[in-house]
Amino acid sequence: MPPIIDPEKCKGCGTCAQICPVQVFRFHRAEEKTPRPVFGEECWHCNCCVEDCPAGAIRLRVPVPYMMVHVDADTLKPARSRHDGN
Amino acid sequence: MMEIKNVYEADVLVVGGGVAGLMAAIAAAEKGARVLVAEKADSRRSGSGAAGNDHFRCYIPECHGPDVERIVYEVLHFSQVGQCHDPHLTRVFLRRSEEIVRKWESWGIPMRPTGQWEFTGHAYPGRVRSGLKYDGKKQKAVMTSEAKKRGVTILNHMPVIELLKKDGRMAGAVALDVSAEEPSLCVIAAPSVILGTGCTTRLYNNMATPGWMFNLAYCPSNAGGGIAQAWRIGAKLVNLEMTSRHAGPKYFQRCGKGTWIGVLRYPDGEPLGPFVDKPDRACGDITSDVWNSSFTDVMKNGRGPAYMDCSGLTPEDYDYMMWGMDSEGLKGMLNYMDEAGIDPRRHAVEFMQYEPFLIGKGLEIDEHGRCSVPGLYAAGDMVGNFRADIGGAAVFGWIAGEYAGSHIGENAAFSDEVVCALPHVAEVRVLCEKIMNRVGGCPWKEGNLAVQQIMTDYAPSGPHTARSANLLNAGLKYLGDLRQTLLSSMSATCSHTLMRALETLDLVDVGEALMHAALERRETRPPHNRADFTFTNPMLGELFLTVRKEEGNIVKEWRKKDNSR
Ligand SMILES: Cc1cc2nc3c(=O)[nH]c(=O)nc-3n(C[C@H](O)[C@H](O)[C@H](O)COP(=O)(O)OP(=O)(O)OC[C@H]3O[C@@H](n4cnc5c(N)ncnc54)[C@H](O)[C@@H]3O)c2cc1C
Ligand code: SF4
Ligand code: SF4
Repeated sequence: MPPIIDPEKCKGCGTCAQICPVQVFRFHRAEEKTPRPVFGEECWHCNCCVEDCPAGAIRLRVPVPYMMVHVDADTLKPARSRHDGN
Repeated sequence: MMEIKNVYEADVLVVGGGVAGLMAAIAAAEKGARVLVAEKADSRRSGSGAAGNDHFRCYIPECHGPDVERIVYEVLHFSQVGQCHDPHLTRVFLRRSEEIVRKWESWGIPMRPTGQWEFTGHAYPGRVRSGLKYDGKKQKAVMTSEAKKRGVTILNHMPVIELLKKDGRMAGAVALDVSAEEPSLCVIAAPSVILGTGCTTRLYNNMATPGWMFNLAYCPSNAGGGIAQAWRIGAKLVNLEMTSRHAGPKYFQRCGKGTWIGVLRYPDGEPLGPFVDKPDRACGDITSDVWNSSFTDVMKNGRGPAYMDCSGLTPEDYDYMMWGMDSEGLKGMLNYMDEAGIDPRRHAVEFMQYEPFLIGKGLEIDEHGRCSVPGLYAAGDMVGNFRADIGGAAVFGWIAGEYAGSHIGENAAFSDEVVCALPHVAEVRVLCEKIMNRVGGCPWKEGNLAVQQIMTDYAPSGPHTARSANLLNAGLKYLGDLRQTLLSSMSATCSHTLMRALETLDLVDVGEALMHAALERRETRPPHNRADFTFTNPMLGELFLTVRKEEGNIVKEWRKKDNSR
């Protein structure tokens, strides 16, 4: 589940459930103290819930396939010059 | 039974509380109209501008000089947004853009965060620049509060699912209340309806992470609702076959490539494009705006992959870039990079081209934002004959709201009893009930994946793929079959999944309209490539293709671009 709420920190204000642009959370105020990220697969990772949570209780877990593939910038050289040790 | 829980009346109904929608609502309310916004999520944080934006295209005479035509030329011929413009609309937009920029500034959106007008990114060395660098992180909350100050009613968690027309003009809309787990319906009677439902995502297979449909550059809630619903009531759509493809970091789909300050390089270090060979804060690297297919091409030609290399940045420029990304709404990506130990000063991130979607393709509008159905307006990313992203949405949203708000009597309103009694309302209700009452049917996601696979195979878009009459005709047959399957088998268990199921049906309609348009364009004009018509026909270069439905028939018409001044 991409957004993870720390139940110890959460104040149950409901902001995250209210503002999420894709409505990942469900929150039954009367029965629950903390929103549940029921539709976690639909998270857009926009970070809005993290920004707006007054208690700093939310973190995002980015799914592994989203891996931002990268290389060391100094390898961007012609292959031969790398062998030369430049 | 699914209830009609509430009936509302308004002079102007705004569908979608995104950037265009909120601007339309504020402008209409300033003109004295009773305005209601029906928003799918929450207008403080919804749509593609939810987390922020940082470039606002505009014409500021004190920076650009007295001749607007200079910027018109840049937008039309030197930008990634200019391909499908009626140049008349470009002019209307630019002439009013300064007024909107100053309005935003007066509301507290930092339009000169460094203290001066600054135009950086998405630019060519030595050419005039029109992307104003601003800080849009709080823009949605600011616009929401400005709308409320003017008495606008905002209904959040209230996606519009059907538009209502009577006697050839707008009568209102049906919305789905998704604020509680149990869905209910609302009818909104309004003689003027302004659509601002944004771009259309989730139409094609996700090319970054095939298993993750919501890993998207643009907001995944934007599922073509306004376009599909307007198509169903016979409004004209334009340029629908000219699908777009955005680009950015590989596997982690994100907008904002113009905010990276680096050089796009091959693995051997050579730059992809001719524009920069070291990081340039003023310009960025515009190569992929110009060479749209670059990242796909270099994967096919043996020279790729392509990397964004920011390693030569000065410490000041690095800070500037990171601040820009934060105002752009990329904090989530930055946090991920931090955790994964990716540092743009040391690491070069691979870039890719994402799957096709619709932006700046859709509803045809005139200079007041009016569509072909009386009482219907559209603005923002869902418009088909103009596109300027955040600036375009803000300015044309304002123009549409201003016109609708000051012409309230232009279309007489129907009473709410008349609107509620429209046969269409009952039909929508029956559809929702069927989906909710069905047990063990097909969940929406299967339907959405099925739309995507058909679109990807039968209406492909972009480099190294081609459409043909055979493929498109087959695709239309399959989408028709899919619609029947979904209507007879989709099921939902709560308001949220019902909303997604209805979005899926909207996507089928958008796909069909797109395929009809693609059949009619018998030429190749990238990204619309035709295997059976491989040439570009200059005769069609001055024309736009519109499609609409009339009594069950598809009407396709060509018209001249509006170049008036
Ligand atoms: C991370 C990121 C950075 C970007 N940076 C820039 C930038 O710097 N400069 C730039 O020019 N552009 C930028 N863009 C693009 C820009 O955000 C969009 O062009 C702009 O938001 C379009 O405004 P809009 O009102 O047309 O659509 P949106 O702002 O997307 O709003 C659409 C609204 O409609 C709602 N909605 C959808 N369907 C329905 C329905 N059926 N009923 C009711 N409501 C509905 C949605 O929830 C949403 O609130 C960026 C986009 C992203 C994602
Ligand atoms: S915003 Fe934070 S404090 Fe409020 S309900 Fe959500 S997690 Fe809890
Ligand atoms: S990151 Fe965005 S999409 Fe994901 S749960 Fe938070 S607000 Fe919703």
